[in-house]
Amino acid sequence: MKANRLVISMVFTAAAAMARASGPPGPCCTPGAKDAAPEAVISNRSVYQLGATWSDDAGKPTPLASLQGSAVLLAMFFTNCEYACPMVVGEMKRIQEGLPVALRARTRLVLVSFDSDRDSPATLRLYRGRMGLGDDWVLLHGQSDDVRELAMVLGVKFAKDSRGQFAHSNLITVLNPEGEIAFQRAGLTGDISAAIKALTVAAQ
Amino acid sequence: MAYVPAGVYSPLFGGKNSPRQVGVPAFFLDVRPVTNAEFLGFVRANPNWRRSDVSPIFAESGYLGNWSGDLELGPRAQADSPVVQVSWFAARAYARWRGMRLPTTAEWERAASAGFMTENGSTEAAYREAVLKWLSVPAPLRLPPAGSGRPDVFGVRDLVDLVWEWVDDFNTARLADESGDAPGLDSNLVCGAAGAGVRDFTNYPAFLRSEFRSSLDATYAVPSLGFRCARSP
Repeated sequence: MKANRLVISMVFTAAAAMARASGPPGPCCTPGAKDAAPEAVISNRSVYQLGATWSDDAGKPTPLASLQGSAVLLAMFFTNCEYACPMVVGEMKRIQEGLPVALRARTRLVLVSFDSDRDSPATLRLYRGRMGLGDDWVLLHGQSDDVRELAMVLGVKFAKDSRGQFAHSNLITVLNPEGEIAFQRAGLTGDISAAIKALTVAAQ
Repeated sequence: MAYVPAGVYSPLFGGKNSPRQVGVPAFFLDVRPVTNAEFLGFVRANPNWRRSDVSPIFAESGYLGNWSGDLELGPRAQADSPVVQVSWFAARAYARWRGMRLPTTAEWERAASAGFMTENGSTEAAYREAVLKWLSVPAPLRLPPAGSGRPDVFGVRDLVDLVWEWVDDFNTARLADESGDAPGLDSNLVCGAAGAGVRDFTNYPAFLRSEFRSSLDATYAVPSLGFRCARSP
């Protein structure tokens, strides 16, 4: 019992210490930085500090920082997901359709796959066609190490099961043009107005 | 590093889609946790991991909070004691800097289940006592030196009696058995559900480790939580 209390008090200590340090990130060695850090100055709360290189569904190297400047609606998914992911994509479409027309052009919809082994760029390409995703959708494949790091930054939990399927949290994230998390919604369905509002603010 | 031969890991939690035992390929594991002195070397070489410069998305404000300064260990962080109050991101960055990685849960638990004399510590009274003894006392303000514990059968020290340790997939234990249904993440939020799905109630230390890991966030910089590195052969 003593040990139980120890664990709990340690976790509470951690949870309580939520005030954040500040200061700009250094030029090198951010987690995932296997390539040179992007030239542009990146906010120290930006997800784009993750320096990994991803591939889009055309096989083009695509650093996350290439999304800088756009409002982004992002979810993690995998193409063999039968139930949850198509619903998440549907929710993203609903959110997109709810945006004022002028803002849609400044918004990117990004899907990042958990499934580094099976979701090759070509597989993602097929998924794009199957789901009817337009040019404003970005589909990304990455190395499993980088997928885990991005998931940790976003707060997405996932685990591969023995059949090669993924259990995962369903989380839709709005990133502002600097790549900072502006809004997140958990769950498969629900109110989309808060996400639309967050994107509208981010895109202005 | 110590060589841990291929073996099996029995996940503590399991549902219909998860196997009773998972094969763990052979791997190398640091014989002791990373020390303050070693982590200081990393921080010197990588200024963006200094306490005052680290990004708040990679480490909360308690990061290296027991050091006296950015590049000073001070009285509460002995050079040869395990580094603690490091986030998962920082631990991972250190491991990568050394050309290694964090162990997985399966690897870590596989190594930690070994006793002093055999590969199955649960059959050794002395081993069981050592584990429970550590769990029953609060962490000392000044941690003992890393590497001072009794080596297990693989030559690895301090796994179960010095600090808690990060693993690469620390937040996945409750997920793998839930796919196929709508992921039931809510059980993570409900205290009474903590024991649901547990297969071996006699392995209290493993249960505590699992609960502890599930409660972490990758930015947390918690006292008594350190790490060690692993690599594949």
